[in-house]
Amino acid sequence: MKDKKLLLRIITPRGKKVEQKADMLVMRCVGGDVGILPNHMPLSSPISDGILRIINGKEEQKMALFGGVVEVKNNIVTILTSIAQRPEEIDLARAEHDRKQYEQLMQERSSDLKMQSYSVLLRRALVRIEVSSEPIISGSDIDESDDI
Amino acid sequence: MSSIKGIKQRIANVSTTKQIMKAMDMVSTSKLQKARERLVNARPLFFETKRMVHQLKDCEKAKESIFIKQRKVNKSAYVIITSDKGLCGSYNVNIAQKALRHMNEGKNEVILVVGAKGYEFFRRRGKNILHRIIDITETQMYYDTGLLSEHVQSLYVSGEIDEVFIAYTRFESTLSYLPVVEKVLPISDGEENMRFDSEMTYEPDVHSFLEQAIPLYLHACFFAAMSESVACEHAARMVNMDSASKNATDIIDDLNRMYNRKRQAAITQEINEIVGGANILK
Repeated sequence: MKDKKLLLRIITPRGKKVEQKADMLVMRCVGGDVGILPNHMPLSSPISDGILRIINGKEEQKMALFGGVVEVKNNIVTILTSIAQRPEEIDLARAEHDRKQYEQLMQERSSDLKMQSYSVLLRRALVRIEVSSEPIISGSDIDESDDI
Repeated sequence: MSSIKGIKQRIANVSTTKQIMKAMDMVSTSKLQKARERLVNARPLFFETKRMVHQLKDCEKAKESIFIKQRKVNKSAYVIITSDKGLCGSYNVNIAQKALRHMNEGKNEVILVVGAKGYEFFRRRGKNILHRIIDITETQMYYDTGLLSEHVQSLYVSGEIDEVFIAYTRFESTLSYLPVVEKVLPISDGEENMRFDSEMTYEPDVHSFLEQAIPLYLHACFFAAMSESVACEHAARMVNMDSASKNATDIIDDLNRMYNRKRQAAITQEINEIVGGANILK
């Protein structure tokens, strides 16, 4: 049980992006954050724009996911998504620029449909910014939960 | 049959054509390399999404979804993927014929065609072409196929079409391509070899999962089919250009031989004339 690990696979149109072991995964699904530990029951869920945290011992990696679906089965976590970005792949300057632009656009009154797409784009920019900046949550409090 | 000058002109012509074909061959070779790489990367997403949606068939609640449930078929949509440019042998004809044969098995069809060649083919046969897409840039392929899949999905949801087929050319190797017609929607019971035993839970519920999974599945289908087809197109063009430049070499050889024979004949004739003239003077 102790040495059991999850196998994470992230598949994008550009091929298998990630294939690695992990102790714990936390991702943003449509209903809120979902944490996955080894021996999780079989689960499928849609993913919304958000951060995927890959926790391995004391190390934590972050990735930005934009939409897609996740499937958990037999300790294999398969994420199918259009876009998955590592922190180093994110253009922070562009994300900041996007954020300012959409924040400004959100201030102006426009049709509901436009507002909706702005809010999606703004959220994406925010996710990118958060992923590429330094970890806000320290690794220590996660380790405690791991020891149980 | 033709003069020495004429033959010389023809040799020059064929050589120029050969150069063009060689260049096209090289262009296709490098494009094929890129297309193959893209194809290898596009396949996993397609297989995984396919597996995932087929798994949904096991879920009782999902069976009632319009995407899975078989409904009475009035109209079948065909998405046919061809190329914009020619000079790739029988590539376009093969896939168009395959789709045509499939349609003629008593389907009431609407066609969404990708590529100028396929559009011409079906227009000439007076088929019901609903939508056509030409000039898909290869680097923009993922985005463009996304628009296509959204379009198909909205047609399907609105009930204008009751099933969706995709006709594309599957890339097997540089020398072998297989035109195939596959059913995309509704998710048919055809795939019997896929067995699932585990009880899957869907969060928050099956329908919101379907809402996200189906567009991704469609998109992945079209993207993979497009990637396969593009790889085939370049491979076909490469092979055809290669054999065409070989043919050109043969023609040049023949023409050269003919040219030399004519030249020899002319020289012999000239010598004969000189000798004949000299004999008269004796």
